[in-house]
Amino acid sequence: MMLRLVGQRLLYAIPTVFVLTALLFFSVTTILGSPASMMLGEDASPQAIAELNAQYGFDRPALEQYVDWLGRAMHADFGRSFTTREPVASAIAAALPVTLELAVLSIALAALAAVTLNSLPTARRVIRPLVVGANLVGIAMPNFVIGIALIFAFSVSLRWLPSTGWVPWSQGLSTHVRHLVMPVLTLSAYYFGAFSLVYRAELREAYRRFYIRTARAKGASETRVAFKHALPNAVLPVITFAGLSMGQLIGGAVVTETVFSMPGMGRLFVGAIAGRDFPVMLAIGMLVVFGVVIMNLITDLLYRLVNPQIRLG
Amino acid sequence: MIRAAARIGLAIVLLVAACAILAPAIAPYDPARSSLDSLQGPSAAHWLGTDELGRDMLSRVIYGARTSLLVGAGAAFVSLLIGAPVGLFAGYLGGGADRLAVPVIDLFIAMPGLVLALIITVMVGPSLPNLVIVLGLVMWPSVARLVRGQTLAVREMAFIEAAVVAGGSAGWIIRRHIWPNVARVVAAQFALTVSLAIITSASLSFLGLGIPPPTPDWGSMVRSGYDYIGVNPVMSLAPGAAIAFTVLGFYLLGSSVE
Repeated sequence: MMLRLVGQRLLYAIPTVFVLTALLFFSVTTILGSPASMMLGEDASPQAIAELNAQYGFDRPALEQYVDWLGRAMHADFGRSFTTREPVASAIAAALPVTLELAVLSIALAALAAVTLNSLPTARRVIRPLVVGANLVGIAMPNFVIGIALIFAFSVSLRWLPSTGWVPWSQGLSTHVRHLVMPVLTLSAYYFGAFSLVYRAELREAYRRFYIRTARAKGASETRVAFKHALPNAVLPVITFAGLSMGQLIGGAVVTETVFSMPGMGRLFVGAIAGRDFPVMLAIGMLVVFGVVIMNLITDLLYRLVNPQIRLG
Repeated sequence: MIRAAARIGLAIVLLVAACAILAPAIAPYDPARSSLDSLQGPSAAHWLGTDELGRDMLSRVIYGARTSLLVGAGAAFVSLLIGAPVGLFAGYLGGGADRLAVPVIDLFIAMPGLVLALIITVMVGPSLPNLVIVLGLVMWPSVARLVRGQTLAVREMAFIEAAVVAGGSAGWIIRRHIWPNVARVVAAQFALTVSLAIITSASLSFLGLGIPPPTPDWGSMVRSGYDYIGVNPVMSLAPGAAIAFTVLGFYLLGSSVE
């Protein structure tokens, strides 16, 4: 049963990846013009462009180029960056851990905070406005505004934390963490708002159920009702949302990494966009497609595993 | 509680709209006029100080409301223009049309919108009309999903059956009977779509792919102000606050009208 389900979903996921990467490849190649003219600039002679095109194989039919590119990509060979001349795969290998750490910490912190803070019994009137306020900040304030406000407060004014940059683990744990505090807070503020929205809606639903009334009738404290009875029944969509957010981690990290000058995937992508760096753009685009499709697959399967009521669609 | 939130949201939106419409009357300076008094902090002459070219920040923030509302409303409208027909037809016709539309909608909703917008923008080039279209292209799937869901619910009503029996064509039924019943929910969602469009366009501007200068644009102002955060923090914080304020207004309005 489970195996058949996985097979069926894969049957859908694989063509999706092909169609999307092809769409990406053809639109980037046809609309942006030949990669050679991009590398050499607009003033290059037609002859020089033709030579370079022939050298890299850009003069072949588009379909052949796509198949070739995809074949190499399967072996983690994405060619070389136009701007740095470095292999794209090694640039990604260096950037991916930075983004992974940022995204995993932010998403975990946001999910934990959203579930705990919103679960606190409504009787505690002092906390509620603060939580609602924090939700609104996460929803209404763009990431870069939060980041810049944090930099202004903690770096420029108080001088507690370094404003930008990133330091690897190997150069000392405390410096590493000090550089990471504000980016993680910034990115998790956004997720906190989004997760809270989902969780609060789910929580309202849970509180209408009979088991809550039963628990209260048995004399359980409001805290116990909130954390033992309501939380487990409302938390699933937050987990799903967190999983889907992991699939989009590059999208989430683009702005935060730019604000804090972190050498991650998001900034690599923005740099590639700014420099019309075609191989890097394609490689990251493909990873984004993969991330989204795979995380959707996993959350979908997990959901069905946890809740057998949902039948195959 | 909910009605209070809606009122606050409406007040904010009206205030920003008033700034946009009355910009030439209330802005103390021409937003494009540069002077030698660059990078000044707040003063009696320049309430929010001046930027690196000596332009008055308050005037630029006021004029920025025009750009922001234009892009936000324009993009939401484009997403409605694409998303509503797709959702209506998929929901009403069902069958093959629905089976084709739903996976496409789900997939594009799952894609990171900002990454998609960056890729499309670099292809078509950054400009105000392009930005509106790009954001509309990125946001239409969520409109389509909402409209489809609503259409599915309305389709089961008795008056639709009556319209079918009366011999109405699919197009006529959708236009005359389904759409008027779906439109109310879509209108509420419209404010939320505007708030999302404003955030995304501001993020694109901050990354350098938004509206090109010299148009006063909040995202670009934050971007250039960020370079001078140690000298004149108001230069980035004021337009940043303007973005957050406007988004909050549309969000409160949209989320409480439902």
